[in-house]
Amino acid sequence: MKNAFKIVTTLFCLILPSTPVFAADVNLFIAASLKEVINELSDNFAKKNASVKFIKNYGASGALAKQIENGAPSDVFISANLEWMDYLKKKNLADVASIATFTYNTLVFAGKTGKASSMQDLGKLERIAIGSPKSVPAGEYAMGAFKKAGIDKQLEKKLVMAKDVRESLMYAERGEVDGAFVYRTDALQAKQAKILFTVPQDLYPRVTYPMSLTVTGSKNRDAAAFFAYLHGDDARSVLTKYGFATK
Amino acid sequence: MTPLTPADYDAIRLSLQVSIAATLLSLPFGFAVAYLITFVQFRGKVLLEVLINLPLTMPPVVVGYFLLLLLGRHGWLGSLLDEVGIRLIFTLKAAVIASAVVGFPLLVRSVRIGMEGIDPQLINASRTLGARWPDTLMTVILPLSIPGLVAGSSLMFARSLGEFGATIIVAGNIPGVTQTIPLAIYEYAASPTGESMALSLCLVSVAISVIVLFLHETMAKKAARSD
Repeated sequence: MKNAFKIVTTLFCLILPSTPVFAADVNLFIAASLKEVINELSDNFAKKNASVKFIKNYGASGALAKQIENGAPSDVFISANLEWMDYLKKKNLADVASIATFTYNTLVFAGKTGKASSMQDLGKLERIAIGSPKSVPAGEYAMGAFKKAGIDKQLEKKLVMAKDVRESLMYAERGEVDGAFVYRTDALQAKQAKILFTVPQDLYPRVTYPMSLTVTGSKNRDAAAFFAYLHGDDARSVLTKYGFATK
Repeated sequence: MTPLTPADYDAIRLSLQVSIAATLLSLPFGFAVAYLITFVQFRGKVLLEVLINLPLTMPPVVVGYFLLLLLGRHGWLGSLLDEVGIRLIFTLKAAVIASAVVGFPLLVRSVRIGMEGIDPQLINASRTLGARWPDTLMTVILPLSIPGLVAGSSLMFARSLGEFGATIIVAGNIPGVTQTIPLAIYEYAASPTGESMALSLCLVSVAISVIVLFLHETMAKKAARSD
C-alpha cells in the first residue's frame, strides 16, 4: 500500500510541469500581425539575456484579451486596436502606468492582381476574407469602413470570417477568396497576394497598436526589461524593416 | 440569457439544412456500402472497410484539409469543377460534403449491424422461391434494414450538427451562408463580449441534440417491438 502510494506520487510529480516555477518565463500575448517583428525582437533580446525564455502567443487581439481575462499566464500584451486594451484596463488586468503606443499600420485589400482597385469594386467579387469583427481588429476596421462607404449590406453574404488577420491573408494567398482585408505589413509578407488598394484613411480610425504589461507582468523583472526594450531603437528599426509606421 | 440575433437564427437553420442534406445524400451510398460489406465477398474488402471508417478516427481537421486539397480552387478536382463553373469551396455544398464524409462511417456501421441481424434463412428462402437478387434486396433486405437505416441516419444527423473541424476549413465561416451553430459559437467564444451570446446558442445546440437522441431512442424501441 505504502509502495503504491509512493509510485503514484512519483508519477504524479513526473507529469507536473517540468519547468520550475521560478524560471524566468516571459509570456507574450501579441496581435497576429506583429508575429515576425516580435519573433525577431524576442530572439535578439534572448541572445543578450540568455536566462530569459519567451512563450509567445499570437492571435486575434480580442481573443487574446479574453484569454488574459480568463486567467491565461501573460506578461506583455500588444493589441491591434485600442478597444481590447481598454477592455483589459477596465477589468484591472493591464498595468495602466505602462500603457504606450508600440506602432501604427494601415489597412489594405490584398488579392490576385486585377480583382479590384477600389472599395466600389468589392460588390463584384464573390468571396472576401476579413477577420471576425467580434475579436479581430483588422476585421473590425474593415467592417467600419464598409459601413462608412455604404457597402456593408451589399457585402454581407460574401464575407468569410477568419480567426485572425493572418488566416484571412492565407485565404487570399491560396486563392480561395478573391481578396482579403489585411494590414499593409501582412500583405508585404505575402508571396502570391498583392496589395490591390489601400483603404482610404477617412473610412476607419488609424490602426494603432497599444502595448502594456499586465498586472502580473509588471511584477516580472524580465518582462519589464523586455517591455523597456520594446521602447528602444532596436524595436524601431525592426518595425521599420517590416514596414510599420513608428510615428 | 441573451436573445438570439438574426445571424444566430441563420446558423440554426444552416445547421439543420446541412445535417439533413448530408444524411439524405449519404443514405443510398451508406446502404450500398453496408450491403457490399455484409453480403458480398470480394477482394480488398478490408481495405474498403478501413477507408470507410478512416474519417471516424482521423481528426476532422485532417479530413477537412484533404477535402481542401481535393476541392480547393487549385485542388485536383476543384480546378476541374472550376472550369465548368462549379464552385464548392466556401459554399454550403462544401459544408454538406464535409459533414457527409465525417458522418458516413456512423451510418454504415448502424446499417451493417442491422443487416447482420437479418436471418439468412429468410434470404435463402426468397432465393429458393425464385426471387432474383434485386428482388431479394428490395423486398427482404431493404425492409428489414429500416431500423438500422433509421438508427444510422439519426446518429449521422447528430454528428453533422456538431461537425466543426472539417467544415471550418472547407466551408469557411460566412455568417448567413456557411456559418453553422458550432462555427457561430466558436466565433463568439473568441470574443470577450460574446460570452452570453455563446451560451444562448450552446443551449439551442443542447436542445437539438436532446431531441434527436430522444427520437433515436423511441424509434429504436419501436423497431425492437415490431420485430
